[in-house]
Amino acid sequence: MRDAEYYKSIGFRCGLEIHQRLDTKEKLFCSCTAGIAEDKAIGRVERFQRAVAGELGIVDPSTRFEGMRHRKFIYTIYKKSSCLVDMDEEPPHGLNKDALELGLRACAVLKAAVPDEVEVMRKVVVDGSDPSAFQRSMMIGFDGKIEVDGKQIAVPSVFLEEESSSIEERTGNIVVYGLDRIGVPLVEIDTGPDIRSPQEAKNTAMKIGLLLRLNGCAQRGIGSIRQDVNISVSGGRRVEIKGFQSLETMDTVIENEVERQLRLIEISNEIKGIDVKGGSIVDLSGEFDGIDSGMIKDVLGKKGSVMGVRISGLGGLLGREINEGRRLGSEVSDYAKMAGVNGIIHSDEDLSRYGIDAAMQASIKKRLGVTGKDAFIMVAGEEKTARNALALAIGRAEMAKEGVVPETRNVDSKKNITRFMRPLPGGSRMYPETDAVPVSIEDRYYTEVGKGIVSEDQVRERLIAELNNVQLVEQLIWSRELQRYFRITEHTGADTRVVADVLLEKFRELSRQGIDPYSIDDDVLEDIFRRFASGRITKKAIKEVVRTMPKDAKDVDEAIRGGNLERISGERLRKLILEFAKNGEISRSEIMSRYGFNIEGDELNSII
Amino acid sequence: MRLLYCMYSERISLILSKANVKEGDRIRLETERGAFEGILMPRPDAGDSNVIVIKRDDGYNIGIAFSEKCIVKKLESKKGEFSFPKYEAKGNRSLPRISMIYTGGTIGSKVDYVTGGVYMLTKPEELLYEVPEIYEMADLRIRNLMSIASEDMTYKEWAAIAEAVADELNNGSSGIVITHGTDTMHYTSAALSFMLKDLNATVAITGAQRSSDRGSSDAFVNLVRSFQVAVGSDIAEVGICMHSSSSDGRNYFIRGTKARKMHTSRRDAFRPVNSTPICAVDEGGKLEYMSEYRHKDNRPKKVKAVTGFEPRVALVKTHPNSDPGIIEYYMSKGYKGIILEGTGLGHVPSSPSIKDLSWLQNVKRAVDAGIIVGVTSQCIYGRVNDKVYRNLRLLKEAGGIHCEDMMPEVAYVKLGFLLGNYKRDEVREMLAVDIAGEITDRSVADFDLV
Repeated sequence: MRDAEYYKSIGFRCGLEIHQRLDTKEKLFCSCTAGIAEDKAIGRVERFQRAVAGELGIVDPSTRFEGMRHRKFIYTIYKKSSCLVDMDEEPPHGLNKDALELGLRACAVLKAAVPDEVEVMRKVVVDGSDPSAFQRSMMIGFDGKIEVDGKQIAVPSVFLEEESSSIEERTGNIVVYGLDRIGVPLVEIDTGPDIRSPQEAKNTAMKIGLLLRLNGCAQRGIGSIRQDVNISVSGGRRVEIKGFQSLETMDTVIENEVERQLRLIEISNEIKGIDVKGGSIVDLSGEFDGIDSGMIKDVLGKKGSVMGVRISGLGGLLGREINEGRRLGSEVSDYAKMAGVNGIIHSDEDLSRYGIDAAMQASIKKRLGVTGKDAFIMVAGEEKTARNALALAIGRAEMAKEGVVPETRNVDSKKNITRFMRPLPGGSRMYPETDAVPVSIEDRYYTEVGKGIVSEDQVRERLIAELNNVQLVEQLIWSRELQRYFRITEHTGADTRVVADVLLEKFRELSRQGIDPYSIDDDVLEDIFRRFASGRITKKAIKEVVRTMPKDAKDVDEAIRGGNLERISGERLRKLILEFAKNGEISRSEIMSRYGFNIEGDELNSII
Repeated sequence: MRLLYCMYSERISLILSKANVKEGDRIRLETERGAFEGILMPRPDAGDSNVIVIKRDDGYNIGIAFSEKCIVKKLESKKGEFSFPKYEAKGNRSLPRISMIYTGGTIGSKVDYVTGGVYMLTKPEELLYEVPEIYEMADLRIRNLMSIASEDMTYKEWAAIAEAVADELNNGSSGIVITHGTDTMHYTSAALSFMLKDLNATVAITGAQRSSDRGSSDAFVNLVRSFQVAVGSDIAEVGICMHSSSSDGRNYFIRGTKARKMHTSRRDAFRPVNSTPICAVDEGGKLEYMSEYRHKDNRPKKVKAVTGFEPRVALVKTHPNSDPGIIEYYMSKGYKGIILEGTGLGHVPSSPSIKDLSWLQNVKRAVDAGIIVGVTSQCIYGRVNDKVYRNLRLLKEAGGIHCEDMMPEVAYVKLGFLLGNYKRDEVREMLAVDIAGEITDRSVADFDLV
């Protein structure tokens, strides 16, 4: 790993956008459940979307790009977690006050100022992930800050907004989105471009997530927090990266992205003053007479076409490596894929792999007018699709002169690199949500919701007092079960170390056995610990009750009875021991092997 | 004409005008809380008028409370607004000539990005800018008739639309698409059905439930489908062409006298009542005819707009505890007709325990005074009957005319139309007889209630 000096020398600048789902019962603008429970799909609707002229009449570059793709979108509707509002069939209901409070609490955590009046905006969404083609979003905080490893990182803005939908299926040009999560409240926290190394980016993301969890803002569960990262280096431009699956690899992905940006800048320096330009698209389908194998033969056999184009001035550069196993040609190819093709064939590849022999190559070059320093690109497929794909590929190839292209990119978590998703949206994506009224925020109200904010150190101190085990405390602080630890210990009076042990250790064991203890309902889990605290079950039995995943308090009792998990203690335990004694010597291990879940070892020892 | 500093308090307006700042200008606002830069936005009509709304560079609007200590400075004047490319008649004469009559409504609504309010487009080309494929389907004529919300429509606008349709068809167009607000679209469709005599072309009325400034608007699909029906069908009737379901794709073309808005906000709000759609039109423009209709023929006859309308007709709903005194009110105002929206099979309260709440006497009095009283049902679906129960017979004896399976709104429009063009005795004869598909003899069983 390179050091901070290195990142300084290349002018590395990085800022984060943290999206954290808020722990509310209902969605932001309707009363559908915002929970993470399983839901039942009850139907689907199909919609088309168009690129409309945005604010000031300008069609945003990313909007226009999506418009070229002519996509149809399908939305799955769920019984409890989607309604007409989510389907863009009803105006929004009032703003969810709980969500606003949690959002403002996040602002208080980040020491941000809040507007006197919050204005709801529509942020244009172009990938179909929102049936209304926009996402409701509002600025609720500004001028905040956070300290990470002794350094102040600015938090210029905090937003409260609707969660987008998730992709359920994608086949060709058709995407199916689920409407269960859309509209769930989340806060977006943006840092300034103050981060100076990949490690610092990772630490900042961890810290923000932690503070939100510690202060009760965050919804539990995997996927409830997402991090987008903005990166630039000297001589380049900003790139936005989405889709980090885990914080573990965030620094590695950023390192590889920096590498990519530097290589692209190198290429742009090499072609300074050279006219890089796409020629006209030519139908090359007739050039492959006698091709005996491969993808081209298949496409032509299905009445498809092979279209090609000359890219002047780019000879030899499409094959230039920019990340391990990735070339400039891969970048161009990713653009072409957006039109629905599998990729491109370019002049720096071994064309014999496609069954194109030397004679064919010569005649292709001749048809396209390729000489000396030129490159060429081909796409095979249905003619119209191939033409669309080539148009996109030409656009990207010509941008090689610009070095880093402003893009939104996605993490490829297998290779820890990034891939093109869409052009970086311009600024003209916001306009007022005319169906929602502004919300005034009084100072008093902000002070009230910000009461009892705790810092990492305060929490650590408290946990050390409660658990007296530094390692366990660190585990718990970074665990997503921390909030439940507080809830359970406060509400049930159960022994703190037992609670921590179950939530961390026992849950991990269960999860290794293929059981998902993390999704157990909060109230049910509390009920289980309540039974433990009142002496109805033993420490060891807790895990067994969790294993059966009761649905409510009644089922907890059911599980205890059904599993023979009632605790035996006091007089009953005494009698039991006497019965064992009748048959000769009292064997502790024999008793425990038969009644291990029912007897607390300490009590047994003291009686024996 | 919008006021300067619309919705801001007088206090703020004064400061802004002193600083020579207008909405849309880039300003710097210095407050006790710090300085803010951005574009001055007009206030939304809700909220605190002492809060200044500015648009930040990141596109977000925020509201900042204004105090006497605030200093406002103008940084830059408002930038020019985008104007849509001018529509040029591309006039492909090999295509059928279709006239689009623009009347306003959500289909022609856009967000004013400066004010944040929804406004009506005044130029149809702004709408067509988003749907260029229409130019490939038809030799398009645009008639920019009016730009109003449909809740503001009156019989005068119905007449103007009918005249415009007749004018376009008599001057070479082979079909009509009318864009219209959805709230009262079914009243207009009924009115046109009655007013257009000898119609020999498709008149498709369409609109949108989501405004056309959003990429998800139903306006685009509805427009394209309407043109597909107007170009491709041989239907010689007025109909409403809107979504058949919540999905974009298939639209229905529903007879103008049988369509009703049955949902406040869904795309598929318009349903055929007591009938089946005339046809469905799918994504590829394929028409599926679903019921009987009047076909176009080769008559050289011109279509005539018969636009007389008697505005003194009331639509009155009866309900438990309803006061029949309302009829006396309408009598005193010189009304010529009343459509009663009764309950069930067409009942009005006839022998309630509170005697004064019986409607029979007042109905009789109105009929005796020469007022035409039609009886329909608030059930919406189904047919009224004047025989099944004694109270129905009593209402008939009092002179109420039961209007078969005609919807209350359609009966209302019809009665106004009849009274505007025919003698009273003729009206009495014609009210419960079909003239424009509004009454069917058979109650067919193949329609859905939802």
